[in-house]
Amino acid sequence: MTTKPEAIDSLWMPKETAGFWRRARSGFGYSPAVIILAGVLLILIVPPIIFLFQTSFYTTTFAGEFDKFTFGFYTELVTNPRFFNNFVNTTVYAVGSAAFAIALGTAQAWIVERTNTPFRQYMFLVAIISLGIPHVLYTIAWLLIMGKAGPVNDILRAITGAEEAVLNVYSMWGMILIEGVGFAPLAFLLLSSVFRSTDASFEEASMMSGAGISQTFRHITARLAMPGIMALMLLIFIRAFESFEVPALVGLAGGINVLTTDIYESIHMEMPPNYGQSGAFSVVLLLWVVVLLYWYNRLSRHAERFQTITGKGYRPRQMDLGKWRYLTAGLLVLLFLLIIGLPVSIVLWASLQPYYEGVTAGSLGRFTLDNYVEVFKAGSFRDSILNTLILGTATATAVVPFTALCAWLAVRRYKGGWFLDQMATMPLIFPAIVMGVAFLQVFLNMPFALYGTLLSVVIASVVREMPYGMRYSYAGLLQIHTELEEASAVSGAGEVGTFLRIVIPLVAPAMITCWLFLFLIAVRAVSMPILLVGPNSQIVAVTLFDLWENGQVTELAAMGMAWMALMTVVSCLFYIIVRRYRLSLH
Amino acid sequence: MSRLGRTINKNRPTVLTGVLVATAIAFGGGPALALTEAEIVNLKGPERQKILVAGARKEGTVVWYSAMIIDQALRPVSNAFQKKYPFIKVTYWRGNSRKILQKVLAEKRANALVADIVEGSGLAKGMLKANAVQPFSSPELAAYPKEYIHPKRLWVTSRFRYLSVAYNTKLVSKSEAPKSYEDLLNPKWKGRMAWRTGASSSGALLMITNWRTAWGDKKTEAFLKKLAKQDVTPVQASNRTVVNRVIEGEYWIAIGASAHHPIISAKKGAPVYSQIMPPVPGLNGTIMVLNGIKHPYAAMLLVDFVLSEEGQNVLRQANYLPAHPKVAPRPEMKIIVPRLVGMEENFITPAILFENRKQTRAMFNKYFK
Repeated sequence: MTTKPEAIDSLWMPKETAGFWRRARSGFGYSPAVIILAGVLLILIVPPIIFLFQTSFYTTTFAGEFDKFTFGFYTELVTNPRFFNNFVNTTVYAVGSAAFAIALGTAQAWIVERTNTPFRQYMFLVAIISLGIPHVLYTIAWLLIMGKAGPVNDILRAITGAEEAVLNVYSMWGMILIEGVGFAPLAFLLLSSVFRSTDASFEEASMMSGAGISQTFRHITARLAMPGIMALMLLIFIRAFESFEVPALVGLAGGINVLTTDIYESIHMEMPPNYGQSGAFSVVLLLWVVVLLYWYNRLSRHAERFQTITGKGYRPRQMDLGKWRYLTAGLLVLLFLLIIGLPVSIVLWASLQPYYEGVTAGSLGRFTLDNYVEVFKAGSFRDSILNTLILGTATATAVVPFTALCAWLAVRRYKGGWFLDQMATMPLIFPAIVMGVAFLQVFLNMPFALYGTLLSVVIASVVREMPYGMRYSYAGLLQIHTELEEASAVSGAGEVGTFLRIVIPLVAPAMITCWLFLFLIAVRAVSMPILLVGPNSQIVAVTLFDLWENGQVTELAAMGMAWMALMTVVSCLFYIIVRRYRLSLH
Repeated sequence: MSRLGRTINKNRPTVLTGVLVATAIAFGGGPALALTEAEIVNLKGPERQKILVAGARKEGTVVWYSAMIIDQALRPVSNAFQKKYPFIKVTYWRGNSRKILQKVLAEKRANALVADIVEGSGLAKGMLKANAVQPFSSPELAAYPKEYIHPKRLWVTSRFRYLSVAYNTKLVSKSEAPKSYEDLLNPKWKGRMAWRTGASSSGALLMITNWRTAWGDKKTEAFLKKLAKQDVTPVQASNRTVVNRVIEGEYWIAIGASAHHPIISAKKGAPVYSQIMPPVPGLNGTIMVLNGIKHPYAAMLLVDFVLSEEGQNVLRQANYLPAHPKVAPRPEMKIIVPRLVGMEENFITPAILFENRKQTRAMFNKYFK
C-alpha cells in the first residue's frame, strides 16, 4: 500500500518548522478532519466507560444516585457461588450454541458452495431474510413450537402415549438449540466465504485419487476450512456469550441464569435497582470479552495463513453428487423450515387467534383478524414501528459516512488515523447489554433531559454499530488504489473534494450495503435499548419483549408478522444490491 | 489549572440561575397559565373543569404508567378518556409496580420526567418513600369511603384485585380441582403448577405475604416446606402470562393468579377457571399524581376520569373490579369477590406489602431458589 501523497498533504498542511505556536495552530500536523473525528469519538466512547467503572464501585441511594465508594460488589461476585455457577452456565451455553450453529452453517455452506444441489442459490436469500426477523420474535416462535403445549410435544405425546410433555424447552439444551438455529444463517454466510476462498484443486485431486465424497469432505474440505471454522466458532461463541434474548426468555423461565441475565436481573428485579451489582457483572463480562477477542484476532490471523488463494486462476468447482443431491436438497429444505418456515408459520397462526391455546383443531374455527386491526390502529404499535424505522435510519445514516471517513483517514495513513481506527473499533468489546448499562448511567447523570428519548437510543446505537461500519468501509477502501486519488489531487482538488468526488462514488455500492446491514442490525437489537427506551421511544423489538412478558401473545404475533413483512422488503433490497454489484455478503 | 477552576466556579451561579429560570418557565407555564403545579392539582370550585380543560388543550397530551394489562384494561380506559377529550393524546406504558417505580425514579434522576400519573397495586409505598408524588384533589373523591383515600390525599384507590388459583378445565375437572391451599400439596399436582416470581404484588411473593400475615411465619414455613417438594415452576413474566400458559396447557394450575384474568379469558371460550381460597389476598390499585410533571391540567382530567363512574364502568366492562362504591362488579365476577361468596379476605394494604417485601423474598429464596 502506498502512503498518502505529498500533494494532498501540502494543500492542507504547509510544512512549518518555526515555533511551537505555529505548529499548534496547524494542529501539530494533524488534519483538522482527524482532530474533529477523534474529538467526536472521545466524547461518544469515553463517558460510558468511565460511568460503567464508577457504577461498579459505588453504592446507590433509593433514588439511584451514587452514594459510597465500595469494593463490595466485586467481593460479592467472588464469594457468591452462584456467580461461578452462572459463569459455567454461560460457557456451556455459548460453546454448545456455537458448535451447533457451526455444524448447521458448515453443512449448509458446503452444500451451497461445493455441490450441484438444486435450490442451493436460494439459501443466500433465506439467510438474508432471516436477518430481518428480530431475534426476540424468533425465540418466541421457537418457544411456541417446542413449549410444553406446543405442536412438537403434542406429536411426541401422541407417539409415546405419555400424559406429560416429553420435552422441556426451558432448559439448557433448549437454549442451545434455539440460539444455535438462530445463529446458523450468520454462520452460513461467513463460512461460505471460507469455502469459496479455498482452492478446490485439492478436492479434485482427492476425488481423482479415488476418495469418495464423504472421505474428501472429512480429509480435505474440512481440514482446509478448519482454521477458518475455528475462528468463526470463537466469534459465534463470543456473540452467544453476550446474547440476551434466549437467556432471558428461555433461560430465566427455566431457572438457568447466565451473565447477561444476571446483569438484567440486578437492574430490573430488585427495588431499588442494584446498579452497582450490574456494573460489577458488566465489567467482568467486558474484560472476558476482551480476552476472547484477543484470542479471536490471533486465531483469525493464523487462519489467514491457511487460506489457499493463490495467484493462479482457479474457480471452486462443484461436485456432482449424483442422486445424493436429492438428499442434500432435502437438507436445505429442512434448514429453510428451521430458519424461516416453522417460526413464521407459528407466528402467523398465533396472530390469527383471539387467545392462544396452542395448535389445536378447535382453534381452527376461531380465526380472527382483530389482532391486525389493533396493530394498524393509531397508538403505541404504530408509534413503535415508526420509532424503530427512525432508529434504524438515523443509526445507519450517521455511522456510514462517519466510519467511511475514519476508515479512509486510517487506510491512507493520515497522522492519527490509527487512533480513529482503534477508537471506532473499540465498542466491539462491549457486549450489548453492558453498553446498555454504561449508557444508562451516562444518560441518568446528564444535566439535561436525554434519558428515555429516542435520541438517546440512537446515540447508543451509533456507538454500538461503529465497529461494523468500520469493518465494511475498511474492506471497501482497501480495494481502491491511491492512483485515482493522486490524479484528483494533481488536478487541483483538495482533500475534501477528493473524498467526496472520487472516494465516495467508488465505495458507494459498499456503503449502501453497509447502510442496509447496519439498519437491519439496529432495528433488531433488544438488550441495549431495553435499558434505555422510555414510553415515547418504544421500539419494535423491545415492544415484542414486553408483550411476551405481559402475556399478549396474539397481538405480539400480529405485530411480529407486520414487522417481518416490512423487513423482508429491506432484506430483499439488500440482497438485490449485493447481487447487482457483486459485492461480498460478509 | 487553578485559574481554570476559579473561572468555572465564578460562572457557575449564572449558569445555575439560567437553568433554574428555564426550568421555572418550563414547569410554571407561560404568563397565561399563572397557576403553580400544586394549585392546579388541588383546584376546587365551579370553574375547575373549565380551567383544567383550557389548560389541557394547551398541553395536548398526558402520560400515565399503569400495571393494568394493556389489551384488557389500560387501552380501553385510555381510549375512553381520549374519546371524551379528543384534544388530549394519551400515552400509556405498562410495567409491573417495580418497573414503574424504577422508571419514574430514573426519569426524575435524569431530569427527564415523562410520566404524569401512575397507577398500580404495589406502587404506593415506594412512591411515597421516594417523595415522588404529591397531594391532589378531585370532586370524584366525595363518592369514595375514607379508607380508600390516603390521609394526605397522596393516593386514591382506583380498583381492587384478588388473587386466586387458576386451573385448566380440560386437564383438571371441577370436582378434583383444589379448593384450599392444602389441596395444592396433593402429589398429583407435582410438577404441574406454576407461579409468577417477578413482583411482590402478585404470584409467589404476594401469596407468601398473604400466608405470613394470615397464618404467621411458623405455619407458613411449614406449608412452604411441603409446597417446595411440589416443584412449582417459577415464571418470570406477568401474571397474565402465567394464566395464558395454563390455558395452553403448559401448566395445569397457576398459584397466585390475578383472579379476574381467567374470567376474562373464559368469556372468550378459554378452558380456565378461577378458584379463590381462604384467606383470599386482596389488594387495592391506587392512582397517584407525580410531582414536577409536565401536564398537570391533562393529568387531573385523567385522574377525574379514572375515578369517575364513567371511567370505573370501563373497568367494570373490562372485568376488572372497580373501586367506586356505585359501580358494582359484573355478575360473572362474583365468584372471585370473597365477601360475595362468604369467604375470609386478607386485605394487604400498600404499607403491609412494602414492609413485608424483604422477609417475604428471603423466605421465598430459602425454599424455592
